[in-house]
Amino acid sequence: MVINIIDDIEKSIRETAKKLLEEKKVDLIIGYTKGSIPLRSGPCFITDASQTGMLVWNQSCDLNLAKYLAKNDDRKIGIISKGCVGRAIVHLIVEKQLNKENITIIGISCEGVLNRAKIMVEIGDKEIIEANIEDNKIIIKGKDFNKTLPLQDYINQLCITCHYKIPPISDIIIGNKKPEKPPKDDFKDLNEIESKSSNDKMEYFKKELNRCIRCYACREACPMCYCSLCFIDQNKPVWFGKTADISDNFIFHMIRAFHVAGRCVSCGACSSVCPMGIDLNFITRKLEKIVKERFDFESGINLEAPPPMGTHKFDDKQEFMIEED
Amino acid sequence: MMQKMISKEKISDLIKELQKEFKVFGPVKEEGVVLFKEITDAKEICLDYSNSKIPAKSVLFPMIDTLFSYKKEGKGVKIIENPPYEKTVIFGIRPCDSMVFSLFKNFFSFGKYKDPLVLNRLKNITIIGMGCLEPRTTCFCTSVNGGPFNKESVDVLITEFKDNYYLESITDKGEALIKKIKSLTDADKGDLAKIEKLQKDIESAIPVIEGLDGIYTKLDGLFDHPMWKMESQGCIGCGSCTYLCPTCHCFDVLDENKQDGSGRRIRIWDTCQFPLFTLETSGHNPRTTKLPRVRQRIFHKFNYYPKNYNIIGCVGCGRCIINCPVSSDIRNIFISVENISSKTEG
Repeated sequence: MVINIIDDIEKSIRETAKKLLEEKKVDLIIGYTKGSIPLRSGPCFITDASQTGMLVWNQSCDLNLAKYLAKNDDRKIGIISKGCVGRAIVHLIVEKQLNKENITIIGISCEGVLNRAKIMVEIGDKEIIEANIEDNKIIIKGKDFNKTLPLQDYINQLCITCHYKIPPISDIIIGNKKPEKPPKDDFKDLNEIESKSSNDKMEYFKKELNRCIRCYACREACPMCYCSLCFIDQNKPVWFGKTADISDNFIFHMIRAFHVAGRCVSCGACSSVCPMGIDLNFITRKLEKIVKERFDFESGINLEAPPPMGTHKFDDKQEFMIEED
Repeated sequence: MMQKMISKEKISDLIKELQKEFKVFGPVKEEGVVLFKEITDAKEICLDYSNSKIPAKSVLFPMIDTLFSYKKEGKGVKIIENPPYEKTVIFGIRPCDSMVFSLFKNFFSFGKYKDPLVLNRLKNITIIGMGCLEPRTTCFCTSVNGGPFNKESVDVLITEFKDNYYLESITDKGEALIKKIKSLTDADKGDLAKIEKLQKDIESAIPVIEGLDGIYTKLDGLFDHPMWKMESQGCIGCGSCTYLCPTCHCFDVLDENKQDGSGRRIRIWDTCQFPLFTLETSGHNPRTTKLPRVRQRIFHKFNYYPKNYNIIGCVGCGRCIINCPVSSDIRNIFISVENISSKTEG
């Protein structure tokens, strides 16, 4: 493993990508590029070393690029990987969905991405024409307004509690952070929702999920949603309702949550991509806690650790089983 | 044409008057998201907005639309028709979004089969549009035959000016409506010229998008062009662009059965971006990858629509640009099309 200690991550990403392409170590670089509107980024796919200048790295890089990797892709791919992209790759390898040989993980140290939905609630319906992040502040300009927001208040909640700033495995590391032993996660951020009564929790879920328009951006952005036919799309016969009615929305989101339990890498992409600004992180975080407490497992950290939902132990807790009299 | 005005403060009075005769739908803000809903309390209406997150097509073509209900009776089935559609006003819709009413009229009455549900609603809906004082940088309505004060698809057009709203009737239906409203006063003639200038200034400030001129013929030769591979590689295949598009109208029809033998047949939004959309009963799927689905969205709006109905299937609202999870920008596709076709011509 080569460790580069470089401050300017974006510059190093471009240099590293250029070098890898020029030396033909990879056929393709998957990274982030600037979106056409402020505070947005998108994926980019670079095969030509002269194009690496379009790579960017900033707090708007919220997608999980592992989504663009596939087992049957025989190209040699270099992928710009923040911690959660790396975790997704590791877990996908564990689930035998990727071959590591063809993938070069370009690990970068990530300090978290923005919660755009929260910013939009703050700004209202106004258009952001220009936005810059300087000195831990988000400086926003609109047609007839200026607004400065403290950066730390608008970082995605999952990034604040994230203990894996860089990928658990990397072929190249960019950034000034060496991997360190993660601190113990106390899940204190869940206290508020956990202390609510069942009725209040239900009200909160309803309030969030009522806005869902069933565009499935959450599912499509999730690196763990790779089923060729999603349970919700089963139509011979129909398994679940597909309307945007609250009961159907509830079923979709809760069952999707079950399906990613012990697999979710807490990247928050599902929430970041939601056009309706639904906070799905409340589900994600709770899943993480349950899996940690019951199975002492964190997804995407260890290539050797068997995933709890894919294994069975005789001493697995099964207090939910109903015994025959 | 009739011109009236009302002070902004009195807008609730206007809404209340409309409610006496109509069901009124207007922009409402819920959890930070603006959408069109039936106004029950006149105070709910949110007119200080750029455009709604969910386009007002949802009034004409709801996300869940009951076609009819049914109940098993002995060996037969009793069909329960929907209650008659009430006279409705859509208040405060942007002129770009209102274009959808002309589009849907074409689509839902095309060919042999007419859609009675949508066509009946169209008959009963009066559209009070609200001119767009602050087009967003992602707006390109003027490049697709529209404009921030376009009168083509509204019955009444409102323009906000200083402390007042100015109402201009565009159709007979619109004139008949504003004639009746007591809270309106005659327009201040001195302001009308200023308003016209304001409208023109705002309209001319919207940048014209390259590549849209004659895009229909340009696309004709590009169906198999490698550009679609480039354009589709970042797409994750969600439905944000199409569900939030004011002109997308594809649907799926489902039956919802209850245990007690009753149920309903519903129509829900569907999109060409989903693999299931084109899955045929035989198991064959003509669009198995992202590439043909991304291409379909562009061809449908910019090639098939002009061919079938002689109109562009896009109103330039920019929602697909704002809401795309991977920041795909439809304007870049126009530029690609332009570049490719100018190369082939040269």
